[in-house]
Amino acid sequence: MNRIATIWLWRAASFAVAASFIALWQLIANLKLVSPVFLPGPDRAWASLMRGFSNGDLWSKLAGTLEHMAYGWLAASIAGIAIGAIIGSSRIMRTYVAPSLEFLRPLPVSAIIPVAIAMLGLTQAMALFVIAFGAIWPIMLATIHGFAAVEPRLYEVARSLQMSRLAVILKIALPSASPDILAGMRLSLTVALILSVVCEILAGLDGLGHWVLLSARAFRSADLFAGVILLGVTGYVTSVAMSMAEHRLLAWQASQR
Amino acid sequence: MANAAKRFEVIPGQPRPQIAFSGVTLRLGGKTIIENLSLGVRPGEFLCVVGASGCGKTTALRLAAGLYQPTSGKVDFDGQPMLHPRREIAIVFQDYGKALLPWRTAAGNVSLALEAGGMPAAERPARIEELLRTVGLPGHAGKYPAEMSGGMQQRLQIARCLAQEPKTLLMDEPFGALDAMTRQGLQDEVLALVAASGATVIFVTHDLDEAIYLGDRVIGLLPHPGRIGIELAVNLPRPRDQLSTREHPEFLRLRRQLFDFIKATEQ
Ligand SMILES: Nc1ncnc2c1ncn2[C@@H]1O[C@H](COP(=O)(O)OP(=O)(O)OP(=O)(O)O)[C@@H](O)[C@H]1O
Ligand SMILES: [Mg+2]
Repeated sequence: MNRIATIWLWRAASFAVAASFIALWQLIANLKLVSPVFLPGPDRAWASLMRGFSNGDLWSKLAGTLEHMAYGWLAASIAGIAIGAIIGSSRIMRTYVAPSLEFLRPLPVSAIIPVAIAMLGLTQAMALFVIAFGAIWPIMLATIHGFAAVEPRLYEVARSLQMSRLAVILKIALPSASPDILAGMRLSLTVALILSVVCEILAGLDGLGHWVLLSARAFRSADLFAGVILLGVTGYVTSVAMSMAEHRLLAWQASQR
Repeated sequence: MANAAKRFEVIPGQPRPQIAFSGVTLRLGGKTIIENLSLGVRPGEFLCVVGASGCGKTTALRLAAGLYQPTSGKVDFDGQPMLHPRREIAIVFQDYGKALLPWRTAAGNVSLALEAGGMPAAERPARIEELLRTVGLPGHAGKYPAEMSGGMQQRLQIARCLAQEPKTLLMDEPFGALDAMTRQGLQDEVLALVAASGATVIFVTHDLDEAIYLGDRVIGLLPHPGRIGIELAVNLPRPRDQLSTREHPEFLRLRRQLFDFIKATEQ
């Protein structure tokens, strides 16, 4: 049995699971086990999804969510890598700052949402702040870890080559920490999506979160499910894209195992 | 041994040592690791350092590299105090697996030294190819270190060190982890490279035969704290040859002397 055949078998199996899940969903809807007001069948959800795309409503909501997510995630990545690099490359900072980060990290982001609203109001800026604040942790902690774990021998190589501080960071520390950083960025992607939806719901910002909220209030369950499905697909597609980028950027690691 | 410090003082009319330890003492973590070490290495000399495990060979080499600063005494390079590591001094680490950048190919690893030396990007590929050919790695430019054998990785590290165009090459048991055949091949390659470049070499090894085979001079260190216990001039003809040099009566005599010294230190 070769590897390709195994992979295809796994794919076929997971497709079968998904298909039977949708079939079960359709069955429950058809038998009206749950009121159609709350649970549309996959047929109605699909029709609503198509309608939303053809009249452009869903496109603009999707674009809104992607925008919130992307800005927050990028801001978190830049700040997280920069702060993480500063803390991770200095032993003193690691000793004194890292423990308080470990204390802050488990703090639920939802706890700072009221603070952000009080300070920034129900605005895009508030959303950006909350998303970036939530998404920064995995990236920053991964960067600190990655920078702290750089092989000391490589720093000695850099010293004997009299490399500049900037060159050491760009050519040695960052590439060495890149597997950790990219893994952190992948985790943050999901966090950023969740927080985008939360902020859209709370602040009424244009996006899928808002669409889902309005559909629920108006008992348009098919639209509601269309939005939820689209959010699921967004999460899946972005994380697959990130994995592909990781795979490309870390091709050198493949030869190490 | 009391006048060990005197022995290496610069004598007028003699060439100035390229690397000079004068009364160097190093304490690390409250322990004296090297004590009152004085040693001059002439330009172009091949000096081998032997000694029991833990006697301070690596530490002495790191002092010569500028990676450690002495607690007292001083290390000079070309008559200037050595305050930090410098590009003219290249160091070949024993653990080649850790000293190479795993995310860079063989060419990229050599390039690191050229970049540090400020060579324009356009001139690098030709130089990289030349260096990889010199160390016997032509055609492996695109391989990552993890795709290479131990011997190839150590060759690559040597290529990167040569890219620094060093005046001094420091080698810390560079062949310690390699099998006997690879080792002998690399010994001859290093001798040829050094002869061609005229670099000064300090070569640390556990292997007494290797030390005599390669060196112009062999020093043996005594442990706790590290200091010079024996010094032997190796008057064997060059170029050396794996068979005839090792059978030379002088080789056998030196080998015996060094062996007795090491045995005595282990008691
Ligand atoms: N950073 C350090 N702090 C404290 N002690 C150290 C440090 N580095 C080395 N030592 C001690 O100094 C002594 C000499 O170490 P060194 O590595 O120079 O020995 P070596 O001769 O190279 O040994 P080997 O042949 O095993 O490589 C050892 O006893 C070691 O434990
Ligand atoms: Mg050692």
